[in-house]
Amino acid sequence: MSTRADPWPAGGMQLDWTLSVVPSTQQKSGRDLPLSGLDDRRVVEACLGGRVEAFDVIVERHQRAIYQLCFRFVRRHEDAADLTQEVFLRAYRGLRRFRGDATVATWLYRIGVNVCLNHVTARKMPETPLEDAPALRASGSDPASSLLKEETGARVRAAVARLPRKQRATLILRVYQDLSHREIAQALGTTVGAVKANFFHALGNLKRLLAEEAIEKP
Amino acid sequence: MRHLTPEEIVDAAEGCADSGLAAHARDCVACRSKIEAVTDAVRLARCDRAAEPSPLVWPHLAARIGEAVRRERIRAPFWKAWGWTLAPAGAVVVLAIAVTIGMWMRPGAPVSGAPARVAEMPAPAFDGPAADLDAADDPSWLLVSTLSAEMSVEDAEASGALPPPGGAERALFHLDEAERLELARLLREELDTRAPAVPQGPGA
Repeated sequence: MSTRADPWPAGGMQLDWTLSVVPSTQQKSGRDLPLSGLDDRRVVEACLGGRVEAFDVIVERHQRAIYQLCFRFVRRHEDAADLTQEVFLRAYRGLRRFRGDATVATWLYRIGVNVCLNHVTARKMPETPLEDAPALRASGSDPASSLLKEETGARVRAAVARLPRKQRATLILRVYQDLSHREIAQALGTTVGAVKANFFHALGNLKRLLAEEAIEKP
Repeated sequence: MRHLTPEEIVDAAEGCADSGLAAHARDCVACRSKIEAVTDAVRLARCDRAAEPSPLVWPHLAARIGEAVRRERIRAPFWKAWGWTLAPAGAVVVLAIAVTIGMWMRPGAPVSGAPARVAEMPAPAFDGPAADLDAADDPSWLLVSTLSAEMSVEDAEASGALPPPGGAERALFHLDEAERLELARLLREELDTRAPAVPQGPGA
């Protein structure tokens, strides 16, 4: 749609007073674009601009990773779901503090690690006896091999739960969430060198704990 | 060459070490053993595969979080929404209170309306014995006299009851024009009553 104003007097300079709606202006603010087509930062901007449904997109994109992170810490699906909700609520409350120097995923991981560590510190996690370890989905055709893997998995889970907080968080983010050392450093608010050192010590402690358990429960 | 640090061992185990470190790792039995230990521990850790929940969990969880977020939005207290609007008004109120308290606490500051009252009040008569009688009849003065009868000047000074050094000068400095005029008039009257009679000359 356009409107044209009266032209200048004949012989004088003529200006084109055409007014037109430029779609790119709206695209710039992200108001009329489908949210699913925007990257995370633009979705955050849209949410800050008042589109609460934009946060649904953030949730849909990251809930699985955050849930898995929480499950690694609490090992109960109900608790993991509660903590995931808590992580996203905190993220929503602090959305204006998202500076954009890290990715939205790393920012959510940072909140997630804090929420999970606070949770496991406040509540002593129940020790799952090896014989009561939940059965995992069978992955191989050999039942004996499958059982061995399940037992090893339960032992590893128990050993990881006994690691110091930072080592535990580092190991979970690196081994199970596949974050780079740089991303882990951003998530934990530390340096890449400290992350690598923590990871090294976490793996050493994990092996030691597993060896001790093997001696205690042959 | 020195042995690899923990960070370098992690880099070597992940295949990210530079060529010099990688060469050392190949030749050094101790470092190679540490790298293998790290690799082995990572393999062990990966044995714990997380039990994936049902795919139906995700839409349910997303809906639950969405509801919680919308409740959060509705429940946001009014001062969060109006905070930036009300902040300047609040600052003005705080400033006004601070200024009022500051003026009230200022040593020698005139109490609001005092100059007018001073101007309206009749000048007290300092007529020697009569003035003393008036003071003696004042119950407030009697109370102060009784309470301070046993107090030494040192005790009064220590308790802060006496004005600090220079306090009278500061109080004088803070008087406004009307108060200064009134003070001058009172002092002049006092001086006039106490001044000795001027000796009359022999020719008077």
